[in-house]
Amino acid sequence: MAENEFERAGKTAVSQNIHGTVEFLQKFPPFNQMDLTHLVYLVEHCQLRFYSQGESILKPSDGPVDYFYIVKQGLIRGARPHAAKANGETTFEITTGECFPLSALIGERATRTEHIAAQDSFCLLLRKAIFIKLFELSAPLRDFALRGVSSLLDQVNQQVQLRATESLGSQYSLDSKLSERLMRKPVSCAPDTTVREAVKIMHEQHVGSIVIVSQRLQPLGIFTLRDLRRVIADGSSLELPIEQLMTAKPFRLPASASTFDAAIAMTERNIAHVCVVEHGQLSGVVSERDLFSLQRVDLVYLARSIRNASKLETLINLRSNIQQLVDRMLAHGASSTQITQLITQLNDHTVCRVIELTIEELGDPGFAFTWLCFGSEGRREQTLLTDQDNGIMFAAENTADAAAKRERLLPLAHAINLHLAQCGFTLCKGNIMAGNPELCLSQQEWSQRFDDFISNATPENLLGSCIYFDLRVVWGEPQGCAQLRTELLDKFAKNTLSQRMLAENALRQRPPVGRFRDFVVARKGVEKDTLDLKVQGLTPFVDGARLLALANGIESSNTLERLQGLIDKGVIDAQDGAAYEEAYHFIQQTRMQHHQQQAKQGLEYSNRIDPDRLNHLDRRILRESFRQAKRLQSSLALRYQL
Amino acid sequence: MNALNWLTGRPTQLSGEQQHRLEQLAAPAALDTAILDQQRMVVVDVETSGLNVKRDQLLAIGAVVIENGAVDLAQHFECTLSCENHKVSASVLIHGLAPSMIAAGTEPAEALLDFMTFVGSSPLLAFHAAFDQRMLSRALKQSLGYRLQHDFFDVAQLAPMLCPDAALEHAGLDSWTQHFGLQVQQRHNASADALATAELSLILLCKARQQKLDSLLALQQRLNLWLRRPGRHSL
Repeated sequence: MAENEFERAGKTAVSQNIHGTVEFLQKFPPFNQMDLTHLVYLVEHCQLRFYSQGESILKPSDGPVDYFYIVKQGLIRGARPHAAKANGETTFEITTGECFPLSALIGERATRTEHIAAQDSFCLLLRKAIFIKLFELSAPLRDFALRGVSSLLDQVNQQVQLRATESLGSQYSLDSKLSERLMRKPVSCAPDTTVREAVKIMHEQHVGSIVIVSQRLQPLGIFTLRDLRRVIADGSSLELPIEQLMTAKPFRLPASASTFDAAIAMTERNIAHVCVVEHGQLSGVVSERDLFSLQRVDLVYLARSIRNASKLETLINLRSNIQQLVDRMLAHGASSTQITQLITQLNDHTVCRVIELTIEELGDPGFAFTWLCFGSEGRREQTLLTDQDNGIMFAAENTADAAAKRERLLPLAHAINLHLAQCGFTLCKGNIMAGNPELCLSQQEWSQRFDDFISNATPENLLGSCIYFDLRVVWGEPQGCAQLRTELLDKFAKNTLSQRMLAENALRQRPPVGRFRDFVVARKGVEKDTLDLKVQGLTPFVDGARLLALANGIESSNTLERLQGLIDKGVIDAQDGAAYEEAYHFIQQTRMQHHQQQAKQGLEYSNRIDPDRLNHLDRRILRESFRQAKRLQSSLALRYQL
Repeated sequence: MNALNWLTGRPTQLSGEQQHRLEQLAAPAALDTAILDQQRMVVVDVETSGLNVKRDQLLAIGAVVIENGAVDLAQHFECTLSCENHKVSASVLIHGLAPSMIAAGTEPAEALLDFMTFVGSSPLLAFHAAFDQRMLSRALKQSLGYRLQHDFFDVAQLAPMLCPDAALEHAGLDSWTQHFGLQVQQRHNASADALATAELSLILLCKARQQKLDSLLALQQRLNLWLRRPGRHSL
């Protein structure tokens, strides 16, 4: 009884009607998770409004939304303008206890959808200023609202893709599954079929390839028109069984793989056909032409042109095609991850070809060496704005041998650096280039170098050396580098002091968010009102992921792969990891769109952006992305007790 | 003590401050053609010790405000009045105000001053307004010597006038809330009833707009016609 009275006293502290409305809201999320004082505050600042059936509550032409609406009673219908229907097309229905329009409110813009009362309805209206205040105070409300925004981000991406699809006049997306693109049954034959017979089948079926399958329909090999040219040129008999002339073990992908996966595989392996398998059995063949018949994003062709370029000039000319390709891919709704992956791949091809052409020009040094790359190139996160960060590793018997080989390699390395610069890879200001004697080292010397980085670490020199921790082989044998990486992970895992210092470095760049409404931007100079998307936005994620990956034995050097690895190992929470990924992704995407715009306007690439020039939604999402960077940093600070 | 109190009908003396507040009260605004949506209106409901407007006492006042076409939840009035010689009667079963709550209530003069300050110059709305009007008038007269001259609109009359199709001519609040599917948090609590009446009023104001009655004056005129319409049988 006493408890009951106490309860009642607590309740009568607020007016009956406020209390009643609070009780009503407490039946619905996110209000059921909100602090009572916040909820009372919310209700006390609400107005209750009636909308008769058919009345328009909010429409796109009303301009930026001023209120947060909660349906107290009734049904609200969202209608997108539709030419054919007088009332538009219903896109959603909102009923008792639900709220709207979160995305427009947070994006500080007008709604895209007209909200109409489908029945006589009552809504509680909260002024934007009060909503923002509560958004700051109440974590459940904030989470709820942002979840809305994050699904909105998906919608934005979908819209971009939809637009691309419209302009192509067909259902096309880089994310579509291969299974959706398989138009016909695969053309196949048994291994003992003669070449003549196989070519006849290909001719009859109007295809450029035939897959040789086992009795259980497992793909054993592939034979294409290109192979036929070779057979005829070599003068081989057409009566031979095809298994003797086919390309064995053809590259295969599962039917669930995406169009993009196939395109990337073709680019990487320089092949024109990919076998699609389900449960080990051949279910189709995707050809280069299938993938790109609908549009001109011909990255396989581009990769091949780069790979086969006979002169440096050709490579230099092909550079502008890469830019056009990225442009089109952005327009087609490719994600930043897909684009960085693609740029990295085309860059790798260019680097390899430049190395080969330079060797042809200056002569082979007479021993094997490996071309290493570091930093963003090492992480496979290159954009069109790319610095050279590279080095050379070779095997040597002893110090004298190493010195001799270095002498031999340096002129070549220097020439490669210059040639790469001509192809658009800016020379590294910090001279982190293979032509630098300190970065043209034997495996032994590299190992020693990494030892120094870690055992003699100070926060200052770690700042300079951490880009070496993102190393990767672009050209040459990969084993030496793999050993080096294993050693590195091992040394690092044992050295908590250097982990701590790396953590300190990772906290150096503070994400540029201030209070609720503000970005922190430069106050004066040419950089006035701008912030740096790369240094201030991406670097915290890159640094954080690197540190945690190194400390936990994760081999990948790619930031998103590192985050995934950390989630898999349980080092970071899956939800946190997903949020970091999404935020990283969005900042990178914003940066690339920014670069594209600069390219169109003939400006130099820069990572600095004036947030006020973004649209409202992008600005709000960008701010939340920076906030995620902040969260990652505070989790590091906690972990390393900084 | 003023010996003429009984003559002026002012039974209790007011403190200096109360006297000052009484003098500061806004005069009622005359009904005009101001757009209905921009009006401030106070929706009131009272709880009493019974239904006899001459004898029974005012126990509680609840009020909410309709302003700019919406109920503003920031403006609400809720008060239980203390009452000498209060006897528990059967009405306790309706309003649920326990003797202890009434004993702990606000002194009537203070409560009524608060209420009239809250009302300001705004016209009032109530369901079966005549009852609320008389109870309030009498209490104001007794406690403050104040003459209530604010306009009252009876929602019980507006509702059938504006919604003839509902066929609820002499219906109570419950019938109307049911008709429109309104949820009442706690029936016979002055505040909750006031809010329910306000929600009903929002619907009615919307109907009024649809019927081109866009000012309180127009509404009043239509209501007078409606009350005098031929064939209407009196209560």
